Amino acid sequence: MNRVRFMAETHNNESKHHHRDYGIQTPGTKGVPGTKRYAMAIDLRKCIGCMSCVVACKAEFGTPLGVWRTWVKTADKGAYPNTTRVFMPRLCNHCDYPICVRNCPTQATYKHEDGFVLQRYNRCIGCRTCIVACPYNARHLVPEKRTDGNLPTLVVDKCTFCIHRVKKGLLPSCVQTCVGGARIFGDMNDPESEIAKLLAKEKVTVLKPSLGTEPAVFYIGGDFEIMSENKSYSNRTTQLKEEFNTFKRQHPGDAFGDIVEGESTMYWVKKNMVDFVAEIPHKASGVGKIIKKLIFG
Amino acid sequence: MDESVIISNAFHHAPWGTPITIYFWLVGASAGSFVISSFGWVFGIKRYKPLALTASVMAIFLLMIVPVLLIWDLGQPWRFFYLMLPGYWHSTAPMAWGSILILSYPVSMMVYSVFVIKGNVTWARITGILAIVLALSTHWYTGVVMELNPGRFINHTALAPLLFLTGAFISGIGGLLLVLWVQNFFRAAEKRISWTLMSEMAQYMMYGIVFDIFLLWLEFMQTLYGNEGEYMGHDVVLMNLFSFPYIWLEAVIGLFIPLLLLVSPIKHNKVVILAASAMVAFGVYGMRIWWVMGGQFIQTFY
Ligand code: SF4
Ligand code: SF4
Repeated sequence: MNRVRFMAETHNNESKHHHRDYGIQTPGTKGVPGTKRYAMAIDLRKCIGCMSCVVACKAEFGTPLGVWRTWVKTADKGAYPNTTRVFMPRLCNHCDYPICVRNCPTQATYKHEDGFVLQRYNRCIGCRTCIVACPYNARHLVPEKRTDGNLPTLVVDKCTFCIHRVKKGLLPSCVQTCVGGARIFGDMNDPESEIAKLLAKEKVTVLKPSLGTEPAVFYIGGDFEIMSENKSYSNRTTQLKEEFNTFKRQHPGDAFGDIVEGESTMYWVKKNMVDFVAEIPHKASGVGKIIKKLIFG
Repeated sequence: MDESVIISNAFHHAPWGTPITIYFWLVGASAGSFVISSFGWVFGIKRYKPLALTASVMAIFLLMIVPVLLIWDLGQPWRFFYLMLPGYWHSTAPMAWGSILILSYPVSMMVYSVFVIKGNVTWARITGILAIVLALSTHWYTGVVMELNPGRFINHTALAPLLFLTGAFISGIGGLLLVLWVQNFFRAAEKRISWTLMSEMAQYMMYGIVFDIFLLWLEFMQTLYGNEGEYMGHDVVLMNLFSFPYIWLEAVIGLFIPLLLLVSPIKHNKVVILAASAMVAFGVYGMRIWWVMGGQFIQTFY
């Protein structure tokens, strides 16, 4: 085979992408003609770290204290006088091949045909398998106490790409609020959309691409220092580390798996079990209430 | 260039905790104990027949605690039956399979025990084979449920089910030896389980320990030479934060000391066998701790 023929043949070959469609209900739709694929691009060059998106999201969903659907990770780079501060908004990646979906035992989390990865609260048993599965820390168990008592608790929740707004022609709340215009949202399969044009033009990256999840949140101008998994842990400031530890100490009884660094691991293993046992009567009273409601209406 | 410092990030709770570690230990010890129970009635080794019932009752008893742990660990305990509901059941989720195994395994053991009590050799054998397949599958699943998450670096290894099954085998024998020792005080003299037999079981446990050390060594190398996440698991989780359950509890107390005891010239000594059994049973719990809680520790930072 000569070089010209080789080039022609390899160019004409259909892309040999290996799909992982099992267990996700809806096949990946990135770049598939005739389908929609909602996605978000985050232009980190424009993000000023004002956290408006975080507040807008909290307001939109009444997300309880201590858990986030979206947050902004911040890092300081360099040493004085050559320093800069970098930001990285985080949220569920609405993966094309979401690990959380294929591992959910009750199909409570599922993939919508337009690419949203969503949560059915009425099916969720709160087993947290999906949290174990998600490589991006994008999910959380909703704590029992939240301001609006009518909203679900003790089930798993996550970013929905504001499907309730998008279906009405609005932008997701965080995108709408972003003062820097850093978050761009739309159907990446539509070549005329702003996001499709941006993705075609800019150099983009996604988080942990090697895991094969095919994230639909793209970052422009991503910085290794803030994207690295290792550095997220090892380069935390002492203050941030203490914040996390305080959080763990003050929020027992949600998942029974927290360990405070610097304190005995075995003490925490024991403490988690004590918290678990202390929760049993409380959860039992919840079951009792439901049975009562079923019988007496 | 100076390294960056992370000054703000979100923290979410580690999803699974102590109840799950205990559950993994219980299922393992149950499966290990049942394997011994099957020696007599399934594999036809006559000298094991007298302890078959004790072993299977212990296996059933250990498994009876499991639903309490699992169901109350759910955010919505009263929805546990969704795990088996048609239309909800999700065939690609290991947990959906696990819930069926956890239900069917004790039932099969109970049926087997009834035939053992009745002395029905044929049916004890048939139901025993079924129960042993379910015992191994139930414990295989506990390894797989975390293995199939590519993002959980120290758990994402095909060694997972083997590590679990080997741990099950040795902790099951360890637990059973302790139970048999206690039970011997209450048995009539002619019905007591002989020390020769118990020491033979301790030697099976010793082979299990050797294999477990080999598996642990493989996992150690994989994380040491691994990618960013694997090495982080090695450095931060195994060697640092979880070094007590990993190095001390599992490796030293649970494997190396019992191994030394069981290959030494005093390996047939009662006290030695009982001490080794207790250490193994306890040590395997160390593995359950670092495996479940350690594997998830790092994820809460990303
Ligand atoms: S980021 Fe996590 S929660 Fe979101 S779709 Fe991907 S795996 Fe699922
Ligand atoms: S916590 Fe809910 S959504 Fe997550 S895996 Fe369990 S049932 Fe599915």
